Amino acid sequence: MMVQAGTAAKDAPPLRKSSWKRTALIWLSRYGTIVGLLLMVVFFSANAPGIFLSRANFLNILSQASLTAIIASGLTYTLVVGEFDLSIGYVASFVGLIVTGLMAYQGFPISLSIVCALLLGAAIGAFNGVLVTKVRINAVISTLGVGTMLTGIGFTYSSFPIATGIPRPFTDIALGRLVFGLPNPVIIMVIVLIVLWVILNKTDVGQKMQAVGSNLEAARLSGIRVDRIKIFAFATAGFCAALTGTLLSSLLGSGTLAAADGYLLDAFAAVFLGSATLREGEFHISGTLIGVLILAVGFNGLSIFGAPTHFQPIFKGAILVLAVGMSALARRYAASA
Amino acid sequence: MPSAVSAGPWMRIRGLTKSFAGELALDHADLDIERGKVHGLVGANGAGKSTLIRCLAGVTLADEGSVTVSGEDLQKGSPRASEQAGLAFIHQELNLIPHFNALQNMLLGAPKVTRFGIIDWQRSGVAARAAAERVGIRFPLETKVSELSVAQRWLVMISKALVRDASMIAMDEPTASLSGPESEQLFAIIRDLSAQGVAILYVSHRLEEVLQLCDRITVLRDGRIVDAAERGALDKKGLVRAIIGHDIRPPDERARFATNRSRQPILSVRDIAWKSAVKGVRFDLYPGEVLALGGLVGAGRTELAHLMAGVTRPDAGHFELDGKRLDIANEAQAIRAGIALVPEERRSQGVMLQQSVGFNINISTLKKLRAVPGLPFVSDRKARRQAEGLVARLGIKTPSVKTKIGGLSGGNQQKALIARWLNAGTKLLILDEPSRGVDVGAREEIHDAIRALARSGVGILAISSDVEELTLLADRVLVMREGRITGELTGADITEARIIELSYHDANDEEGNIA
Repeated sequence: MMVQAGTAAKDAPPLRKSSWKRTALIWLSRYGTIVGLLLMVVFFSANAPGIFLSRANFLNILSQASLTAIIASGLTYTLVVGEFDLSIGYVASFVGLIVTGLMAYQGFPISLSIVCALLLGAAIGAFNGVLVTKVRINAVISTLGVGTMLTGIGFTYSSFPIATGIPRPFTDIALGRLVFGLPNPVIIMVIVLIVLWVILNKTDVGQKMQAVGSNLEAARLSGIRVDRIKIFAFATAGFCAALTGTLLSSLLGSGTLAAADGYLLDAFAAVFLGSATLREGEFHISGTLIGVLILAVGFNGLSIFGAPTHFQPIFKGAILVLAVGMSALARRYAASA
Repeated sequence: MPSAVSAGPWMRIRGLTKSFAGELALDHADLDIERGKVHGLVGANGAGKSTLIRCLAGVTLADEGSVTVSGEDLQKGSPRASEQAGLAFIHQELNLIPHFNALQNMLLGAPKVTRFGIIDWQRSGVAARAAAERVGIRFPLETKVSELSVAQRWLVMISKALVRDASMIAMDEPTASLSGPESEQLFAIIRDLSAQGVAILYVSHRLEEVLQLCDRITVLRDGRIVDAAERGALDKKGLVRAIIGHDIRPPDERARFATNRSRQPILSVRDIAWKSAVKGVRFDLYPGEVLALGGLVGAGRTELAHLMAGVTRPDAGHFELDGKRLDIANEAQAIRAGIALVPEERRSQGVMLQQSVGFNINISTLKKLRAVPGLPFVSDRKARRQAEGLVARLGIKTPSVKTKIGGLSGGNQQKALIARWLNAGTKLLILDEPSRGVDVGAREEIHDAIRALARSGVGILAISSDVEELTLLADRVLVMREGRITGELTGADITEARIIELSYHDANDEEGNIA
């Protein structure tokens, strides 16, 4: 009996410690990303007050973030429905090339070129969706295949950058500041984020997307046309990728092969960071925005402190691994809670 | 030291306690387990059975208490220590690798004979083949697990435990997906193992089984052990009282609704056939009645339900809904026509676990919850009001409609899945195994909800492998065997004996079907 009482008393403290650790981990998995973002801002502000902490630099960060945020929020949709899209970077590059080509080679007016470009992006996305849902090809494979094909088709369309024949007003789109002195891409990002947030959280389609992502079979048995919902998510991702590609061409003043390929990794890192923000491993728009800001502030800080450019991929890769890890941890704790 | 303990029980559990988020899931449980005895463990969902098992398995770390095996302390929170102490656990989900064969699964994680690093299956398999023989496996061990029936998979799991020389095997709801004869076969094996000195910890909601099989029965309620009795000291009534804390109405006091065949049927099934599973089924379902479909696992009942709900399309035959011919191409069309299915597998096909109770209830009626008709925006206020109304109507126990449904008990999750269809214009609700894995108290509440729904004019087709449930719930019973309807029972004819009889023999071989 004495022995029993002894073991019971000995066991009590580890319980308190482990539950304290648990609470801390859950807190960290929800708010860790936001705290990380704030710590970075505080650190850079303290160490480079004149450079980092200025209106000009903040606008710089925001406009860098805006293109990533647009493409990443589209990607968020495919992850919400439980799929993947590895083609978005290639779609952005391809559409960026086509939109300038339409103006320079085909002589299309600016507005028509942009409309065609965005519809083309949505159509490629929808095609991805059909491959995944109707033909039932794994999303990783089909989107990688489609993306690679787009690179080749882009090369066939124009093997060299399209730099001449692009009307000036087109390049003004990304460089201009129409509202409150904010760069236009920032305004466009805000609009895209709001629209996508409203669709995901306040409409039938959004609820259905979340249902499909939570439990595909249950969604089907609830009368949801799961294939259509997935195709819609892929089309949105394609549209957003096209928008980012178009804005990038406008920013660069040219259509360049493979110009936007790098956005793929940034978008994935941002979306996974976002899924570990505020919620337990669920993908959502506001989280994605936080993820994008972490990347943008991080890159900005690296360049302010004069880190060599090859530090950027190290930072990016590390963030991606960290983000996916945190997202998985958050989900595991949500499941055990 | 070993000589001192040989007099005590083989396994001694003392003061085992575990809490989750401040709630006591297991509250100072004391339990002795002897080798060579079958120990029954019963209790409502959330009573602490799984927590107890998980603590023994080392998957969950107990907060307090001790477990000794043969007088030696069992290291807590270590699955490896539990396995080395001779404890084996067979969960309902059967943790087998589907594309491995039976032999590979049995030897998973066990030492194997290798030559130059290459596994010699022939020699490694000696112990496994002996184990397979002990449990009477007749299929070749090279068969892939994905090709085995649920009953055969159970045999593989038991053999796997025997290969590891387990002294105790804990089984969680072994008969939940087994048919009558398969269960009997399992019981024979359990008795055999028990006679050979293996301790069995048997967890089940099926009280007859427990009473029939177990040498000692322990009842858990709210994390505490409320009763422990030797065989014969408890009857079913006493067991139910111990589990839920009060009596339930005996089945004979329930009035069965007499089907009115002069009314127009809600649904007419006409010679529906699909592959070799459903062979020309024909029946009518009338308003006001609970029509139940009995039979063995594999008789074609779930397949028939899937055909009616648009999950699969029939090869032949057709349906008539309210007298009009109906073609169903997919689930969405079936639901639009008013036919909905509450599926067999609650977790994998029913609930969206990480979503809220409200989300799970409202997902089928989003169009009705629009803020402005015609615009695709869902009104949060309407959604909350509908969910709260249905939660109250079905007595779903949840802190709020915003609570994640994964935190609710199985019975309450099931009620939420029924609630999903109450405002969806459902004319016919098909419930496949409505109370699987649900405790007796919750089962009665689910039955009440189903009956109320039927009386309000919704057609009900309930499928159950639990013969007792059929007698409790049904106003009329159809029994299926090998893809055909073999008989119909009404009124006082609805008895367990008659249902079982029809499950094995065709009552009307000539006509084959009942119109």
